[in-house]
Order: sequence, then C-alpha cells, then structure tokens
Amino acid sequence: MAGARGDRIGATLQPSKANGGQSEPHKGPHPELVEGRGPSSGYAPVGNDAVKKGTLQLKSPSAPVLMLAPALVLLGVFVLVPTLLTLWLAFQDWSTETGFDTARFVGLDNFFAIFGPTSVGRDFKGALANTALYTALSVALLLPLSVGFGLLVYQRRVRGGVALRTILFSTYMVPMIAVALVWSKLYSPSEGPINQMLGWVGLPGSPWLSSPDTALVSIVLLNVWQQVGYFTVLAVAGLTQIPGSVYEAAAIDGARPLQRFWFITLPLLRRTLLFSAVIAIINAVQVFEPVALITQGGPVGATNVLTYHIRRVGIERSQGGLGSAMAVTLMLALIVAVVALFALARRGAEEDA
Amino acid sequence: MSLALDVAAVPPRRRRVSRPAGDWLILTAIIVVSVAAAFPLVWMVLTSLKTPAETMQTPPVWWPATPNLDAYFKVAGVIDAGRSFLNSAIIALVTTAGILVTSLLAGFAFAKYRFRGREWLFALVLATMFLPPIVTLIPLYRMVGYLHIGGSLAGVIVPNLANAFGIFLMRQFIKGVPDELIDAARVDGASELRIVFSIVAPAVVPAIAALALFAFVYHWNSYLWPLTVLQGHTDQYPIVISLSRLLSYNRGAMNTGLVMAGATLAVLPPLVLFVLLQRFFVDSIVSTGVKG
Repeated sequence: MAGARGDRIGATLQPSKANGGQSEPHKGPHPELVEGRGPSSGYAPVGNDAVKKGTLQLKSPSAPVLMLAPALVLLGVFVLVPTLLTLWLAFQDWSTETGFDTARFVGLDNFFAIFGPTSVGRDFKGALANTALYTALSVALLLPLSVGFGLLVYQRRVRGGVALRTILFSTYMVPMIAVALVWSKLYSPSEGPINQMLGWVGLPGSPWLSSPDTALVSIVLLNVWQQVGYFTVLAVAGLTQIPGSVYEAAAIDGARPLQRFWFITLPLLRRTLLFSAVIAIINAVQVFEPVALITQGGPVGATNVLTYHIRRVGIERSQGGLGSAMAVTLMLALIVAVVALFALARRGAEEDA
Repeated sequence: MSLALDVAAVPPRRRRVSRPAGDWLILTAIIVVSVAAAFPLVWMVLTSLKTPAETMQTPPVWWPATPNLDAYFKVAGVIDAGRSFLNSAIIALVTTAGILVTSLLAGFAFAKYRFRGREWLFALVLATMFLPPIVTLIPLYRMVGYLHIGGSLAGVIVPNLANAFGIFLMRQFIKGVPDELIDAARVDGASELRIVFSIVAPAVVPAIAALALFAFVYHWNSYLWPLTVLQGHTDQYPIVISLSRLLSYNRGAMNTGLVMAGATLAVLPPLVLFVLLQRFFVDSIVSTGVKG
C-alpha cells in the first residue's frame, strides 16, 4: 500500500481506511498531497497541467465515499443484488409469488428442464434460436446501413446531410410501443400501405406479421428502422476520426473510390463497428414491445424471443427458478457472443498488420 | 452502394463539384432515405386524422378527405390520458433528476479523486451498462414487493435513480474540467459538495443537458419495467402502457385512428425535446461512443 502511493501523480486524496474506523486527521500538508510526483501510473490526466492535479488537501477525507455512496448503493441494491439473486435462483425451485425464503435448492434441474425434451425445453430452445436469428439479422442490417447512411451524413459535396441525421435519429426517440403500433398497421396485408406500394412496382405482397415465415423478419425490420439513426451517428463519429490526409495520399497513389473505401475507410472504422456490434447485440436481445403487443410470440412461436419468454415464465407464470435459469443462460450466451466478437476483431486486426 | 463508396473516398470540403452526376446520386439517396425514415411517423399522424371508415379501406387511403381530431377526443374517453401523461411526466422527471444528481457526484469522484480500488469499482459500474434488464427483472419484481413500493410510481422510479451510463458520461466530461478551477475553489474554502454543484456542474452543462434528455426520453419511453411493477394498477400507468389498452379497446372494429392518435400524443414529448436539443444528444454519443 505505502509503496503504491508513490506511483500516484500528485495524489488527490487517500480514502479514510475502512478498517480503522476513524479517518486520519489531515493536519498540515499530507506527504502524498504535496507535489508528490512519482512516475506516472499510466493514467493521463486531462487537465492543462498534470503536475498541479489536486495538490491541495481536502477538508473532508470522506468526500469520495459520500459522493459515490448514492450511486453505488442504488446500483448495488437494484442491479448487483438482483443479478446475484438471479444466479442463485437459477438453482432453486421458487415461485415468484412467494418470498425468497421459500426457494428450495434443486441443483441443475432448471437447466435440465429448459434444455430438455418437454414443452418447457422446446419453448425455451425455440426462443433462444429466435433470439439468435433476430440478433444476427439485426446486426447484419444495422452495421452496413449505418456506414452507408453515415457516409451520406458525413459527405459535404451535397447539402442535406444534417437534415438526414436529424430525421434518422428522431426515430430513435420514438417510444418502441408507438413504433410497434404504427408498423402493425403499415404491415397490414390488406389495409396497410407497404403491400400497396409493393403492388405499384409489381412485387407480390407479403403476409408480414401474420405468417410464421415472415413475422420475425418483420419485427427485425421495424427495429432496424427505429435504431439505425443511433448507429449512423456512431458511424459518423468514426468517419470524422479518419484524417483527410490518408485519403489524399491514397488519391495521389491512384486508388479508386472502391479501393479507398475497402482499404482505408472500413479498416479505420473497425473500432467503431466493433462497438456498434456490441451495442446492437445487447439491444437486440431486449426486444419486447412489438412481441408483447402485436404477436404475443406467435404465429406458432415464430416471434417468441427471450425477453418476452423469460418474463412470461418468470413473472406471468411465476416460475421464478425456471425464468432465472433462462436469464442466466441468456447472460452466458451474451458473454460468449461478445468475447467471440472481440476475438474475431483482434484476429482481423492482426491479419491487417 | 457504389454511390456511398464514392462519397467515402472524398474528404469533406474537397474537390467540390468535380462530379455533378455523383452529386445527383448522393442527393437522390439522401431524399430516398429521409422519406423512408419519416414515412411511418407521417403515416401515424395522417391516420390519426382520418375517419374510422377511411382507416378500414382497401386499398388504404393516404390523405384524409376531411382531416378531423375526433380520434384524439375519443382517446380521452377510453383512457385517462391526462392521468397517464402526468404519470409519465412524474416517472421521467423524477428519475432524470435522480440520475443527474447521482451521476454528477459519482462522476466527479471517479474523475477527480484517487482512491484505492477506483479502477476496479469503475469497471464494475461500467459492466452493469451491458446487462440486459431482463436478467434482473424477476428478483427485482419480488424486491420491490419487500420494499413496499410495488404497484406504485415509486416502484417504477426508485430502482432507476442511478445508472452506469450517466456516471460514465459525467466522468468523461468532468475529467476535462481543469484541476486549477477546483483547487482555486478549495483555496477559497468551498466544500467539496459545493464545488461539484457550483463549479464543476456549470462547466459541463452540455453533458448535463445530454444526460437529462437521454434519461427523460428513455424513461418516458420505457415499457418493460413499468408494466411489470404496475400490472393491474391502471391509475398508475404511464402513457406508453395506456396505449396498449387503446389497442385492446373494441379490438378489430375501427380503432386504428384511435390507436394512432394515442401514439402521436405519446411520441410528441420526446420528439419535441429531441428536435429542440439534438445538438447535445449527438455530441454526447460521439464522445462516449468512440472516445470512450
């Protein structure tokens, strides 16, 4: 501990030690607080002059504890504790309508059930597959669209980019419930304008939400419509960070537009696209409103996705143990997906190098 | 797509008007995408102004012959729209206020104090940002029962008074506030709390505006948690949940205009806020999304 202190750049403050029960009185300049510059710990302060960072002594050494307390207590009670409870409940037989004290340990039974051959298992595995498909389709549509739209917003040859950004992003502000209601009418095979417009250009209509073959894709599309503005803004931010000099050099070397996009823009957007993909995956597993409101998981279970299914099992049917096992499985699947994504991105980066 | 590729290759503000044909393609693309993006919302508003008969026609009628507000008046007869709006406003405003205070304080502590376990603690906070709400839903539902706030607005609000995104956003921006400013205030004898609210907060107003708008819109729109906590307590429903009652009202029989009118009403507050303050939204996404 004492050795570590020297590493800090002009340490602002040492927290009062929790074990001591009483905080050290800070009379006079505290050793670490007076220009106590050690080698940098790798942390780069943002202030103009790093050396002066927090050189003065605080009046109250407990300040950081007090400032962190509201946020950390709330996050602890309403995020960390329920997460741990979900992990615990996954191994219990427990009805959501009763207290936690009625939970009974059943080992891995819940997991055997949700992956088993009974209707519980079939429904869950169906929901897992639907969610995987839904997520893959969402990412596959959102990322390319966000780059394409991002280029339209970013370019300065033609006016209108900012207006496009405003329109695209405004859909992201619309409550999902309203999106679901509106699109359920747009999709209506007979009274909706989408099939009508398809007819104008000679294409056959689609049953959209009313057929098991097209219902999930229909929900993907309305979700992409709602979210693409957010990912476009991310893409524009990524494009802004690519220095113009790189393009100029490429132009001098005679690179054609397609080559410049493929060999400069896309590789330099990798970080942005990775971040976008992670967010898109996490958003995709949360889809709930269109399913709860319009399809109720149907037709024939085609839109039964995990958030909807877990809530139905864990809250509406009060099978808290089963629902928690499903939630834990979802969490593990997410972790695997995100880790795989990062591994993929790293391998891609190494191949480029 | 080749159009977009071409755009990519040209640095901004360079080589203007070198290829007029390409410019027309870009303009066409911008218009097509804009119209496609705006269409569902335009359709929603148009449909809310149609007569019930017009909403049922095949093929669909695009423009109402005699635009009228009947559907909007009918909304008030089916749900207590005033009460629902008030509930939504209470949920969104109180939650936002809470998030602002907790995020400013914690963001300041993470940005400007050095203490043991800071990085570890911050990483833990960040991790919660990536946790889908469904993972905590089941035990949380039981927990609000233990706290005797189930079925009430308090049950909707209290679990959301702090969030990781807010703490992250505030930390990012507060790190950019010069330490000299803070030290000078300490020399003048200001308390740490006073420094946060009267020195640091004014210096990060754009970030506070962005967070306030994000929080307001997110909690105005949120559906899963209020639905779970409030089930059955219709007098506590926010507007987004009351909308689902419009859908089930007289199902199948010409309720489309009614539903679209309700949806239009629910969409207005977040959309107006966004249009007024979109600059802050975009800036904050850029700063957290990429520099993060």
